[in-house]
Amino acid sequence: MKFNSVIIGGGLAGLVAGISLQKEGLSTAIISTGQNALHFFSGSFESLREPAPRIAELFSEAGIGIHYSEGVRLMPLGTFREAALSLDDVSIFPTSHFARKALIVGVTGYQDFFGSFLAEGLEKKGIQCRLRNFSLPELDTFRQSAGEMRSVQIAPILDRVWESAVREIRVLLKDEDAVILPQIFGFQDISVPGKIRREIPAKVVFAGTMPPSVPGIRTQRLLKRRYETLGGTYLAGDEALSAHVHKGTVHSIVTKNLDSHYLEADNFILASGGFFSKGMKSNPFQILEPVFGLDVEFASDRNDWYDPDFMKDQPYMGYGVRTDSSLRAIAGGEMMENLFAVGSILGGTRPELGSGAGLAIRSALAAVDEILKTGKR
Amino acid sequence: MNANEYDVIIIGGGITGAGTQRDCAMRGLRTLLIERSDIATGATGRNHGLLHSGARYAVNDAESAEECIKENMILKRIASHCIDETDGLFITLPEDDLSYQQVFVDSCRKAGIGAEIIDPDLARRLEPSVNPDLIGAVRVPDGSVDPFRLCAANMLDAKLHGGQVRLHSEVTGFIREGDAICGVRTRNRISGECEEFRAPVIVNACGIWGQHIAELAGVKVGMFPAKGALLIFAHRVNNMVINRCRKPSNADILVPGDTVCVIGTTSTRIPFEECDHVAVTPDEVTLLITEGAKLAPSLSSTRILRAYAGVRPLVSADNDPSGRNISRGIVCLDHETRDGLKGFITITGGKLMTYRLMAEMATDAVCRKLNVDKPCRTAETPLPGSEERSYEAVARKIWEKPSMAQKAAAARMGTSASRIRTGDRSDEALICECEEVSVGEINDAIDRLEVSSLTDLRRRTRVGMGTCQGEFCACRAAGLLAKAHGCVERERGDLVDFMRERWKGNFPIGWGDTMREAEYTQWVYKHVLGL
Repeated sequence: MKFNSVIIGGGLAGLVAGISLQKEGLSTAIISTGQNALHFFSGSFESLREPAPRIAELFSEAGIGIHYSEGVRLMPLGTFREAALSLDDVSIFPTSHFARKALIVGVTGYQDFFGSFLAEGLEKKGIQCRLRNFSLPELDTFRQSAGEMRSVQIAPILDRVWESAVREIRVLLKDEDAVILPQIFGFQDISVPGKIRREIPAKVVFAGTMPPSVPGIRTQRLLKRRYETLGGTYLAGDEALSAHVHKGTVHSIVTKNLDSHYLEADNFILASGGFFSKGMKSNPFQILEPVFGLDVEFASDRNDWYDPDFMKDQPYMGYGVRTDSSLRAIAGGEMMENLFAVGSILGGTRPELGSGAGLAIRSALAAVDEILKTGKR
Repeated sequence: MNANEYDVIIIGGGITGAGTQRDCAMRGLRTLLIERSDIATGATGRNHGLLHSGARYAVNDAESAEECIKENMILKRIASHCIDETDGLFITLPEDDLSYQQVFVDSCRKAGIGAEIIDPDLARRLEPSVNPDLIGAVRVPDGSVDPFRLCAANMLDAKLHGGQVRLHSEVTGFIREGDAICGVRTRNRISGECEEFRAPVIVNACGIWGQHIAELAGVKVGMFPAKGALLIFAHRVNNMVINRCRKPSNADILVPGDTVCVIGTTSTRIPFEECDHVAVTPDEVTLLITEGAKLAPSLSSTRILRAYAGVRPLVSADNDPSGRNISRGIVCLDHETRDGLKGFITITGGKLMTYRLMAEMATDAVCRKLNVDKPCRTAETPLPGSEERSYEAVARKIWEKPSMAQKAAAARMGTSASRIRTGDRSDEALICECEEVSVGEINDAIDRLEVSSLTDLRRRTRVGMGTCQGEFCACRAAGLLAKAHGCVERERGDLVDFMRERWKGNFPIGWGDTMREAEYTQWVYKHVLGL
């Protein structure tokens, strides 16, 4: 099977690269193992602010509403962070004093929404809070089995019965001018959060929960749908195992499912993520990139990989594969002509590209530009 | 009688102190236990959790071996909900001397330990994880014990007998009258509150920290801190304890416990200053994995969950402060006869295994001083939760059709599981999925077991001890604690402390899947939840 570009990794970076190349009429395939960082997405694109027109267009064409303004956003444990480019689910406020009184509403038995923490954070800002829960008969089956009250289990139900949820919330609402709800609405039906905002006579704020992230999974699905609509080939549940490389040029990829059918391409994009996504692996002696054996920068003494304080920046989280300035990967000190590394596999090696979701989008677009400019078409 | 006056004050909330308080309280004394941190924070919570049969000591230390097997049989009766009767194997590998096996078995039998030579084939069938190259095997009545649960059950029983407990209170000095100690001054490490408590007898049960407490009282007890490092694996690889049949050495015991297994230990003398901050070094990690894989080869490819270390309270055996003669045996010092200081007793040395015997010896000494003539009943009276031996029977008695989580609760709490509130469905929601701990069980611990932080809660319920190391459950449990204590701000700080404490045991083994999990946790807590 031959493509113009083969992308390893189906998360944010891989999908942004795939969509952009397909839009230019290039044929691509994405190899995705399954879970990726969008499954624990906060709803805000860290290190991105006002979106460049092409980023705004990319998300709007995928049906994903994003916005940015100066201000702050409310975090799940009741703290505030500076605003970043965010999904429409995430509210940005000019100041942290955005209401007089807030009603915080959780779902009975759902432990992953931290109402009391939110209340404490808001009350520090002078916002009076009241905590309540609602329950719906449709959610009772989950409560019977104690381990199943999780965001992804209840969100599909709430998509269907959101109107009953709104009724319950309206009964609870007194003179509050803001209602804080968990980000568990709009899993399949993206119109639900907007409808809830319209139906509740107060400012509605969706606050984050423990992962899995409902807005993150929805974003992943919409990007994937957009990619496939453009004709991209998304190989879900497959894994890149190794590559055929000759004189600094990658010819093909061997995957777990395709067995002896290699994926050939003119260009390759490595968007396989950090340690969690297995884009990088480690053993007691070294940190390595498993598919191509790319050069990785890391401290030789393992004691230097960590800071003993959990709250400090951890050196290992900054480790990533080496590239040149055009994001072409480097193996054994030699530049790989047609292999580009993007997203969190870069670690902190390219601080000018930002971190988290910002790094994923910026580096993916930079690699796409490089392919369009210099790569084979 | 003043509210701050007791018959006896016990300093130290490890298993020895908790056991001593229970014994004293059961003999009718008014007791107070003072602990500077939480229960089981010292050596009590930092060992293998091995229920020794005594076999390990049989060849070199017959006295310890006999103590162990006696206590082994007692604990199986009185602490069944803290114990897993797994039995153990002492295996001989090709590089070991097989002739040691006979010496070992003879010594075991002399000490009263049932030791049976079995065919290596049978050993492989009984314990499939064992090194298949073994050339000899002996089966002994080893088992595993949850020291946190054991300590909490002792403390709880002392409370049921009228005992009082002051956790997070540090002894800052003693009150003296002439040649007698008659009270202590304390400072609460959370609230800063200073208090005084009086009693005619005070027991120093502080493990390695006992030397410092003795110094505060003006007497000298020569102790020698010996660090032991251990690793926890993320799976219960073995179902029987596996030991090497040779002279005791480093990293030659593998103990299954709940959902995990533990390999250890090393032994390194350390300076006193390090006792509060023992850390595991990369060299120790390497040694533990290499030696552990000789007992069960699959350990070399099993994910490691955590590294930790404890400090053994070794004491000079013969009252000799120079410490030329170090013993691992029990040391009970009456400082009146030894140093001319009235009202002060030190109980130290010994092992987790022999805590009950140590408590009995200390309580006998207390009673002699108080002229109380009551017999010790701790060897026959079950601890709260252990009235019934089978946890499945317990679960069936409480719930008509017990769920997995309810069975897990019954295994952890024994008959006390009947106290878990039910009826409201939200009590059944799971907080910790790795260990299947419910809202009800956590609220019960908060109500009865003196919980002031997430770390305290972990010691009592196993929340955060499983595969995810608190990643998912810590926030949920923090929500419950915030509600119970009515203070979110303190709880947010507590959550930070808890994650810091978990990381301390993770980073020494931070590679492979542990690093994956750590990256996820760090990202979620800092960037998604905004801690």
